Amino acid sequence: MTTLWDTNGSAVVKELAAQRRTGGAVLSGVALTLVVVADESRVSEAEEAATHAAESHPCRVLVVVRRQLDAPAPRLDAEVLIGGRLGPGEAVVMRMYGRLGLHAESVVLPLLAADAPVVAWWHAAPPDRLANDALAVFADRRITDSSIAGDSLAALRTRAEDYAPGDTDLAWTRCTSWRATLASTLDSVSGRRGEPVRVEAGRIEGDPKNPTAQLLAGWLSSRCGCAIAVEAGARTPGPSGVDSVSLKLDQKEEVRIEADRRGGAVISQPFRPDASVALPERPLGDLLSEELRRLDDDEPYSDALEAATGITGLAERSPVREHVWFDPAEADEPAPAKRKAAAKTGGS
Amino acid sequence: MLRSGMAESTPERWRRVVVEKPFGEDLPSSRELNELVDSVFGADDVFRIDHYLGKETVQNLLALRFANTLFEPIWNGHHVDSVQITMAEDVGIGGRAGFYEKTGAARDVLQNHLLQLLALTAMEEPVEFSAEEIRTEKLKVLRAISLPDDLDAFAVRGQYEQGWLAGQRVKGYQQEEGVDARSKTETFAAVRLGVETRRWAGVPFYLRTGKRLPRRVTEIALMFKRAPHLPFADTDTEELGNNQLVVRVQPDEGVTLKFGSKVPGSVMEVRDVSMDFLYGEQFTESSPEAYERLLLDVLLGDATLFPRNAEVEASWAVIDPLEEFWAGTTPHPYRAGEWGPRAAEEMLAAEDRRWRRP
Repeated sequence: MTTLWDTNGSAVVKELAAQRRTGGAVLSGVALTLVVVADESRVSEAEEAATHAAESHPCRVLVVVRRQLDAPAPRLDAEVLIGGRLGPGEAVVMRMYGRLGLHAESVVLPLLAADAPVVAWWHAAPPDRLANDALAVFADRRITDSSIAGDSLAALRTRAEDYAPGDTDLAWTRCTSWRATLASTLDSVSGRRGEPVRVEAGRIEGDPKNPTAQLLAGWLSSRCGCAIAVEAGARTPGPSGVDSVSLKLDQKEEVRIEADRRGGAVISQPFRPDASVALPERPLGDLLSEELRRLDDDEPYSDALEAATGITGLAERSPVREHVWFDPAEADEPAPAKRKAAAKTGGS
Repeated sequence: MLRSGMAESTPERWRRVVVEKPFGEDLPSSRELNELVDSVFGADDVFRIDHYLGKETVQNLLALRFANTLFEPIWNGHHVDSVQITMAEDVGIGGRAGFYEKTGAARDVLQNHLLQLLALTAMEEPVEFSAEEIRTEKLKVLRAISLPDDLDAFAVRGQYEQGWLAGQRVKGYQQEEGVDARSKTETFAAVRLGVETRRWAGVPFYLRTGKRLPRRVTEIALMFKRAPHLPFADTDTEELGNNQLVVRVQPDEGVTLKFGSKVPGSVMEVRDVSMDFLYGEQFTESSPEAYERLLLDVLLGDATLFPRNAEVEASWAVIDPLEEFWAGTTPHPYRAGEWGPRAAEEMLAAEDRRWRRP
């Protein structure tokens, strides 16, 4: 591990290459580059999650921490690690001060693994428009986390307005195990009947202000073709915001899945005894790891987001963003003068 | 020198001259230079230095192609979809404003380094590994190079504007010291060339070079055609790209092979993986510096790695029409720290391809 104080991007590139040579190649090829944008207060959380994800998906981890945007002089401090604290691969933690924070891509671009996909993850409040962050422009996949925002429902709407194929949100990943349990329950009903099931109505009990609960409702609505809403339940739900899901099926049958608050859930369905399944709250690293598994567009997510927010046509949007220059210092003025920076496409 | 006899080689002693680029600034001026040099020295005593040819990896390209059976059978238009040759520099023009203003990226790099790399990539097998035979083959390729009909779309030049590079603010080209504030000299050039031989007909060679690009890198990438039939579901191979063979000339000299592989798990999903050969890992002995190797060759009189004047003239014959087309036009601007102007991206996008990110 080497720490470079008050350095520049070229020195970081050189140091990374030097460590690869002298340290013996721990990993000779990387499948992707993971760019993590984190707040100073959340760096250790983000590092832990990225380390976990890097264990199952060998990747180059680049952590970008933007600090003190108003610092008078730009400054870059970087920590270069190979096979150390941040997993088996190569990792660089960069702290950027001053205006450099607005040009983080100038340091990150040369550090990307050659011609490998780039995934950007904001473990911080993401920009309202991802196009304002050049890091989002060249990333093939962009992971946000609406649950970090103060008003997470507004955050979800913002994500829908700003959506481009390739975007995803960890609030969505948090409902994967609910989706899997629901799908297998309906499968077992249709297996017993020997014919497909139709969902006629349903409701989710939980926290209506929780983005995960809203996305689960959106997913059910888009899949079942009937509006399913989140209603405030009697009990306080866990972090996923879902306490129970009940679905009314055709042939006057009903299924219900209820979290048991001990990392599991109870499935009730007709003609079968109640069954317990594991439905734990998953750690951040697990969620991130799941998102790195597939690198193409997440269509169920865009469907769920459409249904949850009422904003349509998400999947048809262009997957390529153009960088839009945005200066937070100018944003406070009455009429922010936005100028379009020389555009670049997602290509190189 | 001629008058004083300094240029004369006799059986007891030799006189050799090393010529650095630029070898003229277009075909007529390079002919003039060649005539002048040849009138003083014998053709065997003139060594035109192109230091790229002294690089170990460039020589290894010949070993890779002609010492192995694995690559040569697929090294042709039946299997290769396109070839990309990139030489990117992160530095600006340094203190060479006076030289650069007159030269520009096409004359400075495209005419010599990139065309030489193209020639070595595309040439037929030489009869033996000797100066004369290699030159013969290279010359055949250089003479077979064709320019695109639509120069407007397939020959792009750019000029860097101020921006951020490697975490530091850098000046635009026009603001550099000694540069005309309205200069139209290009600092980036990208062009699509064809090689009209049986081996390469229909395969585009995309060449690009530029200053103030995100990192210093030179590489030759062969993009192979996609498999004519994939017996998998469409969604299984969504993330599968073209197979690639990349020869990295600098830095981290080596070869990368990129191909599809199954992602572990219960579903069939194919994704690109890369296999890396790093010179520095296999051979811990360090390679000689390019100039060391070339100067040694001059002393030994071995001209294998030096372009002969016919090659220089053939190269100018490629560049001259480009310069003529570009004369008077304004280069596309790009921000320092970007991979060149938008038009260069569009040039490949027009043919459903994209530049590899080195």
